[in-house]
Amino acid sequence: MRANRFALALLAALLATTSLACAECRVHSGDRVVLYGTTDDPDVFVWDSRFRMRSYQGGSWDQAQALLPHALLAPPGTRATVSDCVGNFVQSKYAALPDDAVGIVIVTGPLKGKLGWVIGADIRRDYRRLPTVPRP
Amino acid sequence: MKTRSPFSRIPGALGITAFLVFAVAIAVQGAFQTRANIVQTFDRQSKIHRAQVWLEELSRLQIDEENSVRGFALTRDPFYKDQYARAAADFVAKERRLRGALRTENLSAAANTLDDYASLQANWHRKIAVPQLAHPGSDIAAIDKENKAFSDYEDRTTQSIRVTLGDTSDALGRASQEELNRSLVGRVFWLLVFGLLAILFNAFRTRSNRELEEERTITETLQRAFRSEHVPLPNADVGSAYLSASSHLAVGGDVFDVYRLSDTLALLLIADVSGKGVDAAVLTAFIKFTIRGIGLRRRDPGAMLAEFNTAFAQTVENPYLFVSMFVGVLDTETLQLRYASAGHDSAFLRRSSTVQQLAVTGPVLGVMEEPFETKSIHLENGDTVVLATDGLTEARNRSGEQLYETGAMDLIARSSRQPQLLADELVAQVRALGGNRTRDDIAVLAIRVWDPEVADAGE
Repeated sequence: MRANRFALALLAALLATTSLACAECRVHSGDRVVLYGTTDDPDVFVWDSRFRMRSYQGGSWDQAQALLPHALLAPPGTRATVSDCVGNFVQSKYAALPDDAVGIVIVTGPLKGKLGWVIGADIRRDYRRLPTVPRP
Repeated sequence: MKTRSPFSRIPGALGITAFLVFAVAIAVQGAFQTRANIVQTFDRQSKIHRAQVWLEELSRLQIDEENSVRGFALTRDPFYKDQYARAAADFVAKERRLRGALRTENLSAAANTLDDYASLQANWHRKIAVPQLAHPGSDIAAIDKENKAFSDYEDRTTQSIRVTLGDTSDALGRASQEELNRSLVGRVFWLLVFGLLAILFNAFRTRSNRELEEERTITETLQRAFRSEHVPLPNADVGSAYLSASSHLAVGGDVFDVYRLSDTLALLLIADVSGKGVDAAVLTAFIKFTIRGIGLRRRDPGAMLAEFNTAFAQTVENPYLFVSMFVGVLDTETLQLRYASAGHDSAFLRRSSTVQQLAVTGPVLGVMEEPFETKSIHLENGDTVVLATDGLTEARNRSGEQLYETGAMDLIARSSRQPQLLADELVAQVRALGGNRTRDDIAVLAIRVWDPEVADAGE
């Protein structure tokens, strides 16, 4: 009886934690997105590791120089599908609030098929409808 | 009047005025202080706003430089080189001005961040711009990546400065609002304090005025009771007038009397007691009846004053009270007037169209024991003796100029011959002189004599 109660409490706590973590992320696995930085600088860095991405965002200029070989430069408008998301993972040096680390699979452009990580600020949701195949 | 009443207008009207002036002064000073603070805050906000504009221009120039270098790398068009050179020069100038503004506003953290930004831009020049301008198009992909990194970092530094400037501007706005609130609360507080004080003073003044009016009513009642009715005298017409000082001042101690000592002798009295109010009014009764009593025993005016002086010193304990007095004994058959004057200089004789002052024959009563000389003059048919209190000679016009004895004699000379009309006219003229306000009580007693033999011959 006591074991059952403990298992129920653990399950409730797990569910609460999971739902909280999901709520923090702005995108979810399977979402289709477009990569786009800012109007002044629309290119987007795609990193091979979210930890390197975090170091780049929060570190010094010298660190950034050392990390650059681990990043690809994706042109704006590149389409991708979200494979993973870690909420509030990246804290930029001068930003007030942290940002999400979003794992993506690039589906268009010169980097098509590449996997990587981008910050949440560099993605936009893709609301285009998928092309449908006409029935024979 | 010899002294002012303690219940004067000064504690009331002047007190309230002084408090109101003080309150207004504080309000004006507070308003100027608030204005100065607000102006200072606005000035700082304006500087911050200028710095924000310069920062945005700096960011735009940075992008211009990057675009110009990229344009040159792709097209080799020298136009881009010129654009780059112009943007780079402007960047340095704007950055210097922005740094000055940040240091002036003591935003040292933002100034340090600006140093980082300038350093990044200098690195970008060295690593990207100069090589690309020398050998355009070499390894565009690698340069784009590095360019992106520079851009990211520069963007972060400008964002940091932007936030600092925004926060400072907000803080200044809040400070202005707080200053206005403080000023408002302060003024409301002082307004309440001074309003309360004004109400208290007004209540005090109202109470004082009420007490003054009550005392005045009592005094006037007493004076009316003690003032002589006109006693008919053979071969003489008597006129008198009395005017109290304006309502805010207490009634004084003026007294006059015409009393028949015998069938042919009449006692003429006019006196002015120092002080005011009920005490002075009671003292006037004492004077009137004491002099009458002495006059029944003694016929010499000098001796009457000397005896009264002794009685006065023994009766009145207040050493600050004194009396000026004119006493005359008129023989209505011979028209001989014998008189003595204890410091009372408002006594005149009008003969035809000339007026002369009757001499003072001794000091005021209640000061020292001195003999009083008795003088004697023979009145002629139509002569008028005009006795008054110092309300006549000390009357002032609206400019504050005093009438003195000469002015009083001019008025008497121009007044009517009939004694009652003369007395009324004198009082009216004094009142008109002061703009319907009189600072002191005025008593006027006029006695015109006629010689029965001349009058009979005339008939």
